[in-house]
Amino acid sequence: MVDVFNFVEAIALVPLASFVLVLLLGDRMPKKGAISGIAATGFSLAISLWVVLDLAMGGEVYHEELFTFVAGDDVGVELMFGLLIDPLAALMLTIVSLIAFLVHLFSLGYMNDEGEIGLRRYYASLSLFTFSMLAFVYSNNLLMAFMFFELVGLCSFLLIGFWFRDDGPPSAAKKAFLVTRFGDYFFLVGVVAVLGTFGTAAFAGEHSFIIEATHVLDPSHSGEMNTFFGLGEQAWITVIALLVLGGVVGKSAQFPLHTWLPDAMEGPTPVSALIHAATMVAAGVYLVMRMYGFYALSPTALSIIALIGGFTAFFAATMALVKQELKQVLAYSTVSQYGYMMLALGGGGYVGAVFHLTTHAIFKALLFLGAGAVIIAMHHNENMWDMGGLKSRMPVTYWTFLFGSLALAGIFPFAGFWSKDEVLLETLQHGLSGEPILLVGYGFGAAAVVLTALYTFRMVFLTFHGDPRTETAEDPEPIGWNMKFPLVVLGVLSAVAGVINLGAIKEFIGEDALFLKKWLEGKTLDGELGSLSAKEYHHILESDYAAGYEVTEISPLGPGALALVLALIGLGGAVALYRGSEPTPHMTKLGRVRTLLMNNYYLDEFQVWLATGLTAPLARAANKFDQSGIDGVVNGTGSVSMFTGQRFRKIQTGIVTNYAALLTMGLVLLLLVFALMGGWF
Amino acid sequence: MTVPLELYLVLSASVFCAGLFGILVRQSALHFLMAVELMLNAANINLVAFSLEHGNLTGQVFALFGLALAAAEVAIGIGIILVLNRNFDNIDVTDAVTMRW
Repeated sequence: MVDVFNFVEAIALVPLASFVLVLLLGDRMPKKGAISGIAATGFSLAISLWVVLDLAMGGEVYHEELFTFVAGDDVGVELMFGLLIDPLAALMLTIVSLIAFLVHLFSLGYMNDEGEIGLRRYYASLSLFTFSMLAFVYSNNLLMAFMFFELVGLCSFLLIGFWFRDDGPPSAAKKAFLVTRFGDYFFLVGVVAVLGTFGTAAFAGEHSFIIEATHVLDPSHSGEMNTFFGLGEQAWITVIALLVLGGVVGKSAQFPLHTWLPDAMEGPTPVSALIHAATMVAAGVYLVMRMYGFYALSPTALSIIALIGGFTAFFAATMALVKQELKQVLAYSTVSQYGYMMLALGGGGYVGAVFHLTTHAIFKALLFLGAGAVIIAMHHNENMWDMGGLKSRMPVTYWTFLFGSLALAGIFPFAGFWSKDEVLLETLQHGLSGEPILLVGYGFGAAAVVLTALYTFRMVFLTFHGDPRTETAEDPEPIGWNMKFPLVVLGVLSAVAGVINLGAIKEFIGEDALFLKKWLEGKTLDGELGSLSAKEYHHILESDYAAGYEVTEISPLGPGALALVLALIGLGGAVALYRGSEPTPHMTKLGRVRTLLMNNYYLDEFQVWLATGLTAPLARAANKFDQSGIDGVVNGTGSVSMFTGQRFRKIQTGIVTNYAALLTMGLVLLLLVFALMGGWF
Repeated sequence: MTVPLELYLVLSASVFCAGLFGILVRQSALHFLMAVELMLNAANINLVAFSLEHGNLTGQVFALFGLALAAAEVAIGIGIILVLNRNFDNIDVTDAVTMRW
């Protein structure tokens, strides 16, 4: 049998080739390069699935150094490019290539059929985006990950600003770029800190920085690391973890750097689906998963992650409640759902986080593509109050969108229920054993469940139910098969993807049926997964030298039922408020609270103020000091020289006799000095 | 009869001073050239005098070099004076002041 790992690099390289091809020849290709993108992502998907199959049937983790980027001569640091394909990476590769494939397909309907111009640019960026994300996923060290992380940011900039002739998109693209770059700045410092501390940035292998760090802290092993600023070892590990977390918070749109994401809705809708479901935003959370063994060492970092995540989940959900544009609601729900993943990671629920990432990728891509179909049908009007009644006019979109919404709201038995339950359960289990911060996070998360169901079904009711409120909604534009096919695929997956880890009912089906857990623990592999397995992460989490979490064994049925009840409360609320043929805008009753929520808690204004009110005056003051202080000294030196030079040059009279006199006087003077010094007199 | 060294040195010094005086007060470039010759020869007198005093020929050899140098200097100097005359129609050194600040 052919070993799939011989050409596993191609998973990312084929989309790269497609990028080059489309960039050069896109205008002459059929469908302006869409075909090449579809073929490339389809190929990546096939290889990824093959890899998954191989790992599931007892393959081995693939870890290979490919290319030495900067060679260190014994003392220095070696910078390498390499591949690491473990169960986590394989799963993520599959998700990314699947979503990218479907998004390419959907784009045929969304972009080509609508007669958009600039399609070569669109498909080239899309391919580059896919390449960057796939390469990021199988990076085997932090530096390589950082590079592709940045490339992902660049591509999102290009795609969000795709319609650069309008006013909104360029500014949104710039904002996305700058806000994420602000976080990435910390990430870069973190990468340097990791290299400086451990001398390597590898994720896996015998001498990965994660293992080194574990050995340093573990009393039964010995390890070495450099610490800086006189901090203790654990404190320094926390500092590094938080620095890297800066990049994660920026990319995964967590509070307070989430502001770029709702603005990013200015991009084409398929791009939004790609950004939100599989690339870009997922990159941040994936990075934490990739180096989870490292985060597990620092209880402080974990608490901060859990708190940020829980708070963001709740905070973003409140804003989603009042938005009127379809995509805005989805944008805030993305922020909120990534908050759940962060909550799970902070709360020690590695499996839960991966699970939620997987299901979220499916149902959020579905919802965005569904929204895209609705937007096409509505001739690019996104206001939900102009819709209504689309249910009977676009049944495929309605049913798939409904499945996605049920999954998002966490209704049994859709995918989102299982994963969200897993997130909350694992957080609760660790929180009940004396971790009050985790309980706070759990509280936020549970409250957000109600809000999630409420805003999701507000969206569904306003968009699809009731009577049509405008003429466009009366007679929407039909959508083609190329838009329906991705919707159906994702709709089916949203309904059934939960089966990979039915955690809530594990008492009935047994531990063995939790496939994702087994998968991440490396039980399907031939060899040992070692330090990358979920089991090892839990071992570290529960060690006293690391996070020191303890597990309170509670039946998963209780919290599962609670999550379901909370979701049903939200759903019931939405039914009660927005049912009927002419729903009233209930949210306006919130008055000033609504204004606050509509304006996103004035965080955008606050950030603008930070830039114009604080940073700009500071920069101006610094500029003034530079101009007058520093430059003044430099210029002063110059003008003193100029002035004295102007005076002294008068002695160059041009008369030879004067020069001779000066020479003679100089000689006499010299003689006199020698005489006086030598004591001749 | 030997002449004491001091007398040579006094002679040399007075010739040197005469040369220096010439350089400082004369205006004609030819006088300049002559004054410079005087100063060079004052140095030569010193060299020869010390050579005689110490019974060492090195000084005299150096004096020969000095003479050769003086000859070369005159050749160049006369050339400069000719150019000076061509450009300024006289050889007054205080007139040729275009090379100043």
